[in-house]
Amino acid sequence: MKSSTPNKNIKAALTVASAALLGTSNTTQAQTAEEDSWQFDSAFLFYSEADRVSAGEAIINAQKMFDDEEILNLKLTVDTLTGSSANGAVAQPNVQTFTRPSGNGQYITNEADTPLDDTFKDTRVQLNTQWTKPLASNYTLSVGGHLSKEYDYLSLGVNSNLAIDFDRKNSTFSTGFSYFYDTFAPEGGIPKPLVSMLIGDSDTPSWDVNFAQTRLTNDEIKTTTDILFGFTQVIHRRMIMQLNYSYSMVEGYLSDPFKIVSVVNSSGLTQDNIYESRPDSRVKQSLYAQSMYHFESNVLDISYRYMWDDWDIISHTIDSRLRIPLGDIWGKDSFLQPHFRFYQQSAAEFYRPFIQEDNVNGIEYLSADYRIGEMMAYTVGLKFGAVINGKNELSFRLEYYRQTPTDGGYESIGVLSDLELYPTIEAIIGQVTYSF
Amino acid sequence: MTTKKFTISQCKDSHSISFNAMASPCEVIVQSTDAKLVGALAQVICTEVWRIEGKYNRYDPKSVCSMINTNAGQTVAIDEETYLLLDFAEQCYQLSDGLFDISSGCLRKVWSFDASDNIPNQADVKKQLKSVGWRKINLNRQSITLQKNMEIDFGGIGKEYAVDRTIRLAKQTTQKPVLVNLGGDIAVTGSRHNNTPWQVAIERPDVDIGDEKSADMIVSLYSGALATSGDSRRYLLNGGQRYGHVLNAKTGWPITHAPRSVTVVAPQCIQAGILATMALLQGHQAEQFLSAQDVKFWARR
Repeated sequence: MKSSTPNKNIKAALTVASAALLGTSNTTQAQTAEEDSWQFDSAFLFYSEADRVSAGEAIINAQKMFDDEEILNLKLTVDTLTGSSANGAVAQPNVQTFTRPSGNGQYITNEADTPLDDTFKDTRVQLNTQWTKPLASNYTLSVGGHLSKEYDYLSLGVNSNLAIDFDRKNSTFSTGFSYFYDTFAPEGGIPKPLVSMLIGDSDTPSWDVNFAQTRLTNDEIKTTTDILFGFTQVIHRRMIMQLNYSYSMVEGYLSDPFKIVSVVNSSGLTQDNIYESRPDSRVKQSLYAQSMYHFESNVLDISYRYMWDDWDIISHTIDSRLRIPLGDIWGKDSFLQPHFRFYQQSAAEFYRPFIQEDNVNGIEYLSADYRIGEMMAYTVGLKFGAVINGKNELSFRLEYYRQTPTDGGYESIGVLSDLELYPTIEAIIGQVTYSF
Repeated sequence: MTTKKFTISQCKDSHSISFNAMASPCEVIVQSTDAKLVGALAQVICTEVWRIEGKYNRYDPKSVCSMINTNAGQTVAIDEETYLLLDFAEQCYQLSDGLFDISSGCLRKVWSFDASDNIPNQADVKKQLKSVGWRKINLNRQSITLQKNMEIDFGGIGKEYAVDRTIRLAKQTTQKPVLVNLGGDIAVTGSRHNNTPWQVAIERPDVDIGDEKSADMIVSLYSGALATSGDSRRYLLNGGQRYGHVLNAKTGWPITHAPRSVTVVAPQCIQAGILATMALLQGHQAEQFLSAQDVKFWARR
């Protein structure tokens, strides 16, 4: 159809016409947010365990939303880790000497102290990209890539997720898949499982040859395949529920090349330290339920996760957050958010805090890593956030973490009974986040 | 008739005033915790919306609109407000080259958009078309004269006009940020506190699937208005051809190949509404039309 009026003038003519109708000067302009601009989030996190590991982490996240509702998300994370980590050996009534994982030199642990390897120092750079696109009216596809590099570790990953909305978007079913391929090349190589840690003078001419005999290879590979099914349901206008099931299969080199196990005699005195050995596959499954409830002004978020794997580890996690709006007292939309998290796990079937020398023969898998032992942990924290300068969100988070490993039913023997074998770990976590 | 009452509820730092008017659910959001102010504002806004509804609702026999229609063939005296609205409608008629015509309402007597294949015959359409045409209407500042059997209705502009009027009243009543939403036609007095935008969800008028409805797009509005035209549930299907409910006032037939809905952002709601409706009237050229107007818009097909 042809229009006798050039199209371009219609808006101007309407401006005049509506000004006449409404008696306004009509100088106001309609403004909408530029939906094609980037949104940035930055965060700095500090994590410090008393006497152990300290970590600093900087994150910058950039998100761009396109006209067609596609979203591109780029996230760069840089973290540094310094300090010491338990090497798995038990405390002794005497001074102990251990060889560094690189084979270059020794470190000494005082009597009654938990042996800590103080060589941890690493910087990790991580890049994640995610592309989300609505496929059809109720289908949203998301695909992503992951790259993480540290001095001795490279992790590459891909993921995809499909979300299907139905019942007027009150219900969402989602299914996700991810695959990671990790290469681990620690300095000093990968130790042979269950082989004795070589202790001695690393400056002697025969050292390098002898040390090399404890080594299996220079690098190892690990792959992780995750499958996730999720269901989210709006219960009513104040409540939303989410249920997830995930299946994760990890294959390849799953031991920690820096961890050892103390071999003790019947008096509990260390006779030898051997490198740990873990199975080359692990199947983890988990069920996760989350519920968010919006009260008049507060929002309560509670979740529970039940995880089990074929190493016999079972864990329970309860996480809860309560968001309390403070109105505009401390900046616009300011809020306080108390956080409480409880975690409990049982030990892997091959976990032993130490092993008696008579029992070493015939053993296939063994680890004294407290992280796969029996433990309990909780976190309490508080977050404060507010919008400043009109649209930038600033938040502070401070948390206290306490982890209490327990013996898992393995009784201490001899001198070990008088030593602290399961030291409690405490950490402080601080985080500042700024969105712009 | 809608019941004339409103309800007020509080959510965080804002109050929401809900009421029904113009056959639509309406909502006013005030970013204030002052219940007294909100109550006063609710009174002012609802009174104005119901006043406009009562004056221009063609189904209300006591309305000015009905008075004009029932006296078709005679000259009817009109007040200033009615003149201004009719004058605005006339300009829209001219700007759209006759496609937008507030006298085209009687064509609905032969078109019932009930998703059936109920296509009227050309003779019936032609017959109704005789009663359509703004050119046949005589308008001046004091009076209007319709030809016999003609009818006008304010359907395409009344609700948007009410939005702009209430925004004006809201600005006179309070400095607090206010959003007025009359059945999807929306305007704001300005940005929210600290210069943050209002987040407005635009519903996808989902097709063919019963009452399937979903808010699927969020628009950030700092100032001005937005209006949506189109209703995907009102159409006819015949021989694979979909006839949307927007009628070409010149041919008496529905516009084909138009988007199912068009949302336009403009300084005034009435501008946004007319641009959206005019765009629909351009059929397959709707997007091209809006692009040429240099306005922010979303067209759904």
